[in-house]
Amino acid sequence: MSLKTELHSHIGSLRRYALVLTRDPVAADDLVQETLVKAIAKADTFQPGSDLRPWLFRILHNTFVSDLRRAKTRAEAAAEMPEPVSTECQDTRLELKQVLAALDQLPEAQRMPIILISLREMNYAEAARTLDVPLGTFMSRLGRGREALRKIVQGVGVGKLAILKRKGGGEQ
Amino acid sequence: MTQQDQTDLALDPDLMAYIDGGLPPDQMAEIEARLARDPDAREAVAQWRHFDNLLHQYGRTADEMPSSLKIASLERELGRKLKKRQWRATLLGPGLQRFAASVVLFAAGWGAHSLYESGMSLTTESHPYFVAPTLAGHSVVTLASYQSTEFKGDQMSEALEWMSEQMQHKIESPKLERLGYQVESSRLMTVQGQPVAVFYYRNPEDELVTVSMTPRDASQPDYRLRVTEAAENKLAYWSSNSLHYVVVAKTDTASLTTLAAAVE
Repeated sequence: MSLKTELHSHIGSLRRYALVLTRDPVAADDLVQETLVKAIAKADTFQPGSDLRPWLFRILHNTFVSDLRRAKTRAEAAAEMPEPVSTECQDTRLELKQVLAALDQLPEAQRMPIILISLREMNYAEAARTLDVPLGTFMSRLGRGREALRKIVQGVGVGKLAILKRKGGGEQ
Repeated sequence: MTQQDQTDLALDPDLMAYIDGGLPPDQMAEIEARLARDPDAREAVAQWRHFDNLLHQYGRTADEMPSSLKIASLERELGRKLKKRQWRATLLGPGLQRFAASVVLFAAGWGAHSLYESGMSLTTESHPYFVAPTLAGHSVVTLASYQSTEFKGDQMSEALEWMSEQMQHKIESPKLERLGYQVESSRLMTVQGQPVAVFYYRNPEDELVTVSMTPRDASQPDYRLRVTEAAENKLAYWSSNSLHYVVVAKTDTASLTTLAAAVE
């Protein structure tokens, strides 16, 4: 694969990662742009022959983490997902809202591994490199994070889901 | 299942790999058998997977986002920077340093000596300046099969693009493929301040052919095709309007002339 093709495919991956992090398409593209500007400035530090994807993801991750403004954008944008067209989509949307809300309650260290792996763009070792943690630490954070996410969602329970569904219906 | 059991479950790397599809089929079957016996674990795994799928699907919605001109422009700029970085690293890498050292050793020592002994000198007035490095490089590659390369054979288009940029002159592939040769590697050398692009070809009989090109200044002589001998090799050199060419191979005059004709 040529460098040009490889880079283009990574840009798509970066946009997916940025969208899950920011929950807003405009903020996601801003984050990708900021990432690319930084990558251009740091191009001389890239080791040819090493994997480009974790390098780019690491820049995006660090940019996001260091940019506190995005926390506000994410909170505001969480309720602005595309309108569903079917009941099945409505349920999925509500579930997604619930999972994203639960994800926000997790510490950063557990949230990032869950998001990175859910994108299915890289294996555990690459994802660990992206987050700059040892593989064992990454695996432990991923496992603990997944279980904590489940507990939080379960804690919301059927009652809360029903309220969310009613709210969702009221927004139509 | 206790809280501790569930935490232990979440720390099982095999279960994580099962969810993420990273297990070979036999281990997948083992985990499935284990889950069949443990409803709590089964439920936990199903929920982890479900949440993972929801996040994955959400991430995929980025593919529906309109394309951004600004991102496309930054992508192109980054591509250019990374390519430049790749070239620079190749040029400064240990492979080329070893090669350069070998050429120097060859030209200054044993190689030059052996050529001198056989009645040929790399510095003899009978050859123009661009012949010597090609001849030296040819012998180095012949004698030192461990050499790493600047551009590999499958990087020919990148090599040509980069060399053309460095030489400020568009150079074309020597196209010896039509004679049954495959490009093995290529590199750019500087001789007397002039860039010399060198290409190494080999055929299925393991015969090496070295081709070089260097820009020709209008003030420089225009060499007509000349075929001569250098130690065990034959070499041909000539000039076109804008380039000097050299072809070196251990072959007969007729074959070398055919190779030279194919190059230009």
